Amino acid sequence: MSLISMRKVCKNYNMGSTIVKALNMVDLDIETSEFIALWGPSGSGKSTLLNLIGSIDTPSSGKMLISGQDISQLSENLRAELRNNCIGFIFQRFNLIPVLSALENVMLPLQISSCCFSDAKQKALKRLDDVGLSGFIHHRPDKLSGGQQQRVAIARALVTSPSIVIADEPTANLDSETSKKIIQLMRKLNQQEKTTFVFSTHDQRLLDNVDRLVEIEDGCIKE
Amino acid sequence: MKNWIKIAFRNIIKNRRRSMITILAIGIGFSAICLFRGYISSIDEGLRNSAICGEGLAHLTIYKKGWLENGKIDPANYLFSKEEYTRIIQILTKLDNVRLSTPQLTITGIASNGNNSTIFIADGVVAKDDEQIRKGVNPQQLSEKNNSLHSSNNHEGIVSEDLSRYLNLKKGDYVILMSTTLEGQMNAMDLDITGIYNTGSKATNDKFIRLPFNFAQSLYDTNGADKILVLLNDWKDTWKVKSEILQLLTNYGISCEVQTWCERSVMYAQVKKMFQVIFIFIFIIVLFIVIMSTINTMAMSVIERTREIGTIRAFGVKQRKVVTMFSIEGAIIGLLGALVGTVIYISACGLIQYIHPTYTPPGVSTPVPLIVHILPGAIFQFTCFMVLLSFLSAIIPARYASKQSIIDALGHI
Repeated sequence: MSLISMRKVCKNYNMGSTIVKALNMVDLDIETSEFIALWGPSGSGKSTLLNLIGSIDTPSSGKMLISGQDISQLSENLRAELRNNCIGFIFQRFNLIPVLSALENVMLPLQISSCCFSDAKQKALKRLDDVGLSGFIHHRPDKLSGGQQQRVAIARALVTSPSIVIADEPTANLDSETSKKIIQLMRKLNQQEKTTFVFSTHDQRLLDNVDRLVEIEDGCIKE
Repeated sequence: MKNWIKIAFRNIIKNRRRSMITILAIGIGFSAICLFRGYISSIDEGLRNSAICGEGLAHLTIYKKGWLENGKIDPANYLFSKEEYTRIIQILTKLDNVRLSTPQLTITGIASNGNNSTIFIADGVVAKDDEQIRKGVNPQQLSEKNNSLHSSNNHEGIVSEDLSRYLNLKKGDYVILMSTTLEGQMNAMDLDITGIYNTGSKATNDKFIRLPFNFAQSLYDTNGADKILVLLNDWKDTWKVKSEILQLLTNYGISCEVQTWCERSVMYAQVKKMFQVIFIFIFIIVLFIVIMSTINTMAMSVIERTREIGTIRAFGVKQRKVVTMFSIEGAIIGLLGALVGTVIYISACGLIQYIHPTYTPPGVSTPVPLIVHILPGAIFQFTCFMVLLSFLSAIIPARYASKQSIIDALGHI
């Protein structure tokens, strides 16, 4: 069974009296430990597809399964639990909590799932070590560079050992040298941990490193 | 929960200027209600002492059954006879909380200096008992030198200040008191003035006289008393002892009715009610300030942290937790506001104690000191209330925050 299975998935948005079809009859399967990039022009539906895969949104029609669970059938609370247990997020603007240190930011997803403090700390320290930030655990986000912030975000996304990590243009706000390091880091973690990475990007260096490219245009997949 | 408290506290510090303004607004409101509550407490204590000791009402007054309704019309039938009041006083000695019980006879009539005359109301009291009532149960509450009957002479009494002025009386003079006896005959007696006192109330300061119990009995030509005053060891036992007395006297086959000091003192009930209304008014204003300040602060916080809300919700925080997170922040602001308010309140109390200001309330003949009590119980109650109120006020913006779609929240700049 695929980790993610989408069948005839549509996503429409109401813009006043107009209905915008962001995704149209999308069929997609994503297997465990894949390293997939979604690419296409702006407004093609990449972010909408990522939102659905990340279960922060639900399809207007069609069937979508994540780890065998139909997300349309899940309540808001159950989808929150699913996200917490199975999905990690890396954002373009890093989205770290400004009042928490790097360590506390990484611990946050574990504390959301009521993991005990000492376990959460141990796991967070290990993840920060994995991304090469063991020397910055007490730094707040505003005291870290963009690359370091994105590494913290990667550590945070991976700390719950999720089945899938969603990354929305993870290198868009980084310089080329830092982007390269971040891409290498994600690739390494994908290979070591067998975690599935799905991201949207325009970054050619990232596109050159992926296992699979999914092209989207006008809400339809042209793989 | 600890994590959410930490985040809430750090966000308050992060937005310290905005938080400080809200905390200060809550603190000022909190101190205002505490100060007014402390002032009401001092007024309450003052009025209570004034009624029990100053007016000489003691804690409880026992009347013969029917006196309150018909006593003025037909006093002869509703007076306690000497045997009755002596027996009642003897029975009351069995109660532990009773400090003393004493008979009294209130008489009315015309007072004259030979040239001018005016109406008077006189309490016929047992001098040594009256002195004890006026001193109160607190030995530090000593009455004024001229405010008690000390004499054992049955023709000596003290008159109120304005009455002495109207009739041009001074210590050492005598005043003629005229009244009708219980049988309706005119009677008059001379009273030697041994002191002049201030009743504390403009309404009574021009007609009150205190004179010996035997003098009042002679003027009314009776050996009875219209009431028995009961002084207790602690005013807080008033209502409990009232029930005990009624029960005890009923068991002895004596029909009577008992009034507490607050039932007899019209001034106490009216002033207390007035201050309660003012307190409620101030309380509502403060309530409004706290709610609006907290909602405003939390709404701004929600707007600024929209992307943060989207992020934590993407990581699996449920809507309810988002509400809790912001409500905790509101509660912490309320708690800090209460702490600041407590500091302002105690400082203001200290300042008032140091300056010792006085004022003359309406209807009172002498200036009284402005006293504000420090009430730890009230501080605790209002702190809990402020925290709860801020917590609830924060729920409104927090609910808005929790209901936003995650996608919209993440896209918020």
